[in-house]
Amino acid sequence: MTVSTQRQGGGGGVVERGGGAGGGGLADVVELILDKGLVIDVFVRVSLVGIEILTIDARVVVASVDTFLRFAEATNRADLYSKGAKPKDLGDLTQSITEGGAKGKTSGALDAAVDKFGELLSSRREDREEAPRRRPRPRERDE
Amino acid sequence: MSDMVSETQTPEGDEELVTPVYVYGLIRVGTQIPDDLPGLGPSGRVSVIEHGDIAAIVSDIPLDRPLGTRNDLLTHEAVVDTVAANEAVVPMRFPAVTAEEAVVEELLAPNEDHFRGVLDELEGRVQFTLKGRYIEDAVLGEVLQGNAEIRALQDKISELSEDASYYDRVRLGELVVKVLEQQREEDGEQILDRLEPFAVSVVANQPGQPEDVVNAAFLVQRDRLREFDDAVENVGQDLDGRIRLRLLGPQAPYDFVPAE
Repeated sequence: MTVSTQRQGGGGGVVERGGGAGGGGLADVVELILDKGLVIDVFVRVSLVGIEILTIDARVVVASVDTFLRFAEATNRADLYSKGAKPKDLGDLTQSITEGGAKGKTSGALDAAVDKFGELLSSRREDREEAPRRRPRPRERDE
Repeated sequence: MSDMVSETQTPEGDEELVTPVYVYGLIRVGTQIPDDLPGLGPSGRVSVIEHGDIAAIVSDIPLDRPLGTRNDLLTHEAVVDTVAANEAVVPMRFPAVTAEEAVVEELLAPNEDHFRGVLDELEGRVQFTLKGRYIEDAVLGEVLQGNAEIRALQDKISELSEDASYYDRVRLGELVVKVLEQQREEDGEQILDRLEPFAVSVVANQPGQPEDVVNAAFLVQRDRLREFDDAVENVGQDLDGRIRLRLLGPQAPYDFVPAE
């Protein structure tokens, strides 16, 4: 605690400070205290005492399909943001959805894409109602 | 220990009555523990069980519910971190429950020399954890610039409906994650190289998520805390806009407890 306030005297700081007594988020705490620290055989006695211990799984997350889709999405966003809508790309996009009635303007193309997507949505509404992703997310841990 | 719950029923009709205690960590006798430090038991307090010159920080435990709530975890860490902020402590892994008499008989007495040695090692030192994460937009921009395969895949996806592009999107994400994981080895190493001179010891843990760059624990001399802190800040400034650093601590030296 003494040190985390130290920076105030040292001025500013781009590094986020936290942790230490009472200052950490649950995720940071879990990572430390469930996986590390002293364990000794004596604690098999827990069963004798009769206390039920909730186990919490704090393993490193193995990249899953959901992770990949999340990054694909983020990458597509980053691309639009950084290079804007490139004329060539837009042209292709417009062409591929001509049937949708795009007018060739940026907004028109995007609207059309949304329309088309909307059709898809309505034609499979049942699938889509509560599940924007194509695959079920892994269930939150049951144990 | 008079305020502790003195008995409990054991589940299988065992007649033995045991007083369970929660053990937070081990200290040297005489270590300062704030009077108002909250424990996770009904008494809301912590106390100390001594044996020779070492001691265990303990408390009572709740008997009407399983351990493991958010609050239990935060309390455990707050106890060891509060002590660690100023003095040496060997933190226990959560959850550490045992019978009251076993704290001395089975924990402290048989391992006295070992614990004393570990506490000596930790004397005058404290842990900090540094976590670094890529700033998504900045780094994904770099990834795109540097990888034609990813750009091509992206173009393809932009021409397909969401359904039709499913497998391409999975593949795209997989490629991006792979590039990030390669990238972080380089970035992470540079960060560690710059901070290592300010620490007694460093443990580099595996970053959890693809966008995590670094997750490392530093054991720092207390009289060099300011230097270490300044060094972290300097690194943070150099990486600003690309990687965001978080410095957690002072913490109990979880990453520097020797394996039994």
